[in-house]
Amino acid sequence: MELNISLAPDILFYIGSLPVTNTLIGSFVISAVIIAAMLLVKKRLKKDTPGKFQNLVEFLMSGAYDFVVSIIGSEKKAKKIFPLAFTLFIFILVANLATFIPGQAAVTFNRGGESVAIFRAVMADYGMVFVMTMITVILVQIVAIAVHGPFGYMGKFFNFKSPLSFFLGLMDIVGELAKIVSLSFRLFGNIFAGEVLGAVMLFLAPFLVPLPFMFLGLLSAVVQAFVFAVLTVVFVKLASEIEEEELVEEASM
Amino acid sequence: MELFEALGLNVKILLAQLVNFAVLLFVIYKFGYGPIMKVLNDRQNKIEKGIKDANEAKEKLVEIGNKEKEVLAEARREAQEIIKKAQAIAEESKAEVVEITKQEAAKIMADTKKKIEQERAQIMSEVKGEISELIITATEKIIGKKMDAQEDKRLVEEIVGGIK
Repeated sequence: MELNISLAPDILFYIGSLPVTNTLIGSFVISAVIIAAMLLVKKRLKKDTPGKFQNLVEFLMSGAYDFVVSIIGSEKKAKKIFPLAFTLFIFILVANLATFIPGQAAVTFNRGGESVAIFRAVMADYGMVFVMTMITVILVQIVAIAVHGPFGYMGKFFNFKSPLSFFLGLMDIVGELAKIVSLSFRLFGNIFAGEVLGAVMLFLAPFLVPLPFMFLGLLSAVVQAFVFAVLTVVFVKLASEIEEEELVEEASM
Repeated sequence: MELFEALGLNVKILLAQLVNFAVLLFVIYKFGYGPIMKVLNDRQNKIEKGIKDANEAKEKLVEIGNKEKEVLAEARREAQEIIKKAQAIAEESKAEVVEITKQEAAKIMADTKKKIEQERAQIMSEVKGEISELIITATEKIIGKKMDAQEDKRLVEEIVGGIK
């Protein structure tokens, strides 16, 4: 038996020119599961006498919503950002937890003589994480432009008032770019490392020894989903706030 | 871009994943977040309305209780007033009746006195007549002879008148 770890997801086959990777299939399956659950909720949605399932969903959603409101501090803003944050959280959570369904690693696909695992942790594919990160980061830029206006937004990065503020403006650009890296690699790194660690442990000692690492992986699966969603909310909150300095400037103009 | 290759980044896959995520977001927004939040809001509004209604009802109840007390007090006061008035009227009419009775009594007294006076006068005259007659008879018997009736009577009356 040989340990096969690849940074990139494995391509299973091509549809036309689109390479279908195992994580792409995984993300589709997970989306389908979540969508099915949502449709089920929608179908059985009762106004005044919620069932147990609806109660659970309501509890999760209203709890998450109240949490978002407490972070962002405004019901109006929370209403706008909540769907995205909640979707991110649920998607990442389900994708991470799905990796703990046993027996997946044994399901392989024969690609020209070499066997490739069909299931791979979706968040261990940098592509998927990158897409979600870009959604968040671009959204944050849009919110910032909407709040500060295009010139106010640009002025934050290109400030010619003094050499220091010019330098700080350039640093802000670096900060925005760093957001992409920190947000995406935090999630990707944790999940990928967890996968690798689990695989290595399974390879070295298949019984009992990997268990603590699996618990750890379970913890990081929930925490990373939470952190990603919360950071999205926090970034949007920061972008949507007008700083006091600016208010003073506007008033003196 | 070796890094991208190493990470398995491919524009087409990224697009596919973007679409996938967008669909997921849309479905959750449309069928999950929207309706559930609506239901939650509706229920919250309903509960708030119920509580508000209950509070209003309680307030109204208190108000009605106060009004009831007020009305009762008013009624009691009015009753008291009516009783007082009735008492005053009764007092007044009592005095009046007493007055009238007194007057009546006085009148009756006077009438009675007058009647007694009259009767006495009548009796007196009757007695006088009878006495005269008696005297005439007695005198006739004594004298033994009958005088002319007219003369006799005149004489007797003269005598009786003298007596008187």
